[in-house]
Amino acid sequence: MKIELDRPRCEGHGLCEEAAPQLMHLDDDGELVIDVPDVDGAELDAAKAAVRICPVAALRLAAA
Amino acid sequence: MTAPIQSDIDIWADDILVDPYPTYAELREQAAAVHLPKNDLYVLTRYDAIRDALGDPESFSSASIGFNPMVNGALQGTSLASDPPVHTQLRAVLSQNLTPRALRGLKVVIDEKADKLVAELADSGSFEAIDSLARAFPIEIVADLIGFQGHVKDNMLRWGQAAMQVLGPLNQRTQESFPIAGELYGWCSSVTAEDLAPGSIGRGIFDAEARGEIPEGSAGHIIHQYLGAGVDTTIASIGNIVALFGRHAEQFDLVRANPELVPAAFAEVLRYWAPVHIWGRKATRDVEIDGVTIPAGAQVGILFGAGNRDPRHYENPDTFDVTRNPVDHLSFGYGPHGCAGQGLAKLEAHAVIEALARRVQTLTIGDEVREPSNITRSIEKLQVEKVVAV
Repeated sequence: MKIELDRPRCEGHGLCEEAAPQLMHLDDDGELVIDVPDVDGAELDAAKAAVRICPVAALRLAAA
Repeated sequence: MTAPIQSDIDIWADDILVDPYPTYAELREQAAAVHLPKNDLYVLTRYDAIRDALGDPESFSSASIGFNPMVNGALQGTSLASDPPVHTQLRAVLSQNLTPRALRGLKVVIDEKADKLVAELADSGSFEAIDSLARAFPIEIVADLIGFQGHVKDNMLRWGQAAMQVLGPLNQRTQESFPIAGELYGWCSSVTAEDLAPGSIGRGIFDAEARGEIPEGSAGHIIHQYLGAGVDTTIASIGNIVALFGRHAEQFDLVRANPELVPAAFAEVLRYWAPVHIWGRKATRDVEIDGVTIPAGAQVGILFGAGNRDPRHYENPDTFDVTRNPVDHLSFGYGPHGCAGQGLAKLEAHAVIEALARRVQTLTIGDEVREPSNITRSIEKLQVEKVVAV
């Protein structure tokens, strides 16, 4: 699966980074960077948690 | 098409507004969507149904977030009452000063102000928590942030309360609040950059308008939404923090012993007592939820507090547990209209909880006094009969 970010919708709340720090982080400007867009296995679970926790629904998982 | 499941309650009855949780439990057990003929309304009661609706603006439009046509008409063209794609641009303008990245520099000042205020209250022996903390603190923070001065600062509480109240149905509370909400609207329509303190975010919004970065005339609307949405709700949350720590001393002790629990404690305060009772949507098509059909065009009411106590989603939902960390609670809403000010709300509330944990050993509270209110559920008076400072 691939993590997709709706960039205009992202407001940098950072809850996704807390859920999946191995996959994404906020940079020094507070912009979200997806470090590992293609995920499976244990990373897929972390990605699902990050997608679920985004308060503004800016993340989703799509077929790779 | 299935027959709607009905209840003959009035969701804005005084006794329900003051203590809605028994009613929420009954409605939630009836169905995920329950028709209330008395209110001409379908309420959403279960966690999944609420979250799905908030994440699906195509089926649940924000054209009627309020429960009377006058207020919905007045809100047309604002971020609050619009749907994607128009919403996306309006929201960006509204939220650019409120995102965590924009607020990063404020944390130190907010923490210092909370610590000073709470330290004074802790040393006072006893205090009334709503006026002296729950109202005083966010009003000072928001006033400084937006740059309100003089008579505007004095009006923030009643204007902010009225702005929420008029979202209700055309009951007496709404009727009485329209003139006050009108004062706020009138002031926001005529406010100029010079009315706001130099260096404030409010002044910055006018500067952005002058530079053509945001549409002409939108600065006043943005100020209106900051005041309308950001005052009454935060006041409710901070009052709830004091009341719940007073009621659950063992939970407060846990936070005092483990300051890293502060964010989890605030999430649990928001889950346990939702600051917003009900919020509107309009069904754009027939929507079936767990076997109940909401017809196209119906007014929908989202009961955040009912979803937050849904046993299908949270274990022991009626237990206040600061270790639960319910980061997915519904009190900030969810999706494209998720609370734009949640970063600021968290900064303020975390600062208050940290200060209480640092400065206070024990709180002994009296009964909280509540008055029925259409949209916000907050405490009117809360006497801290005895506070023991650290």
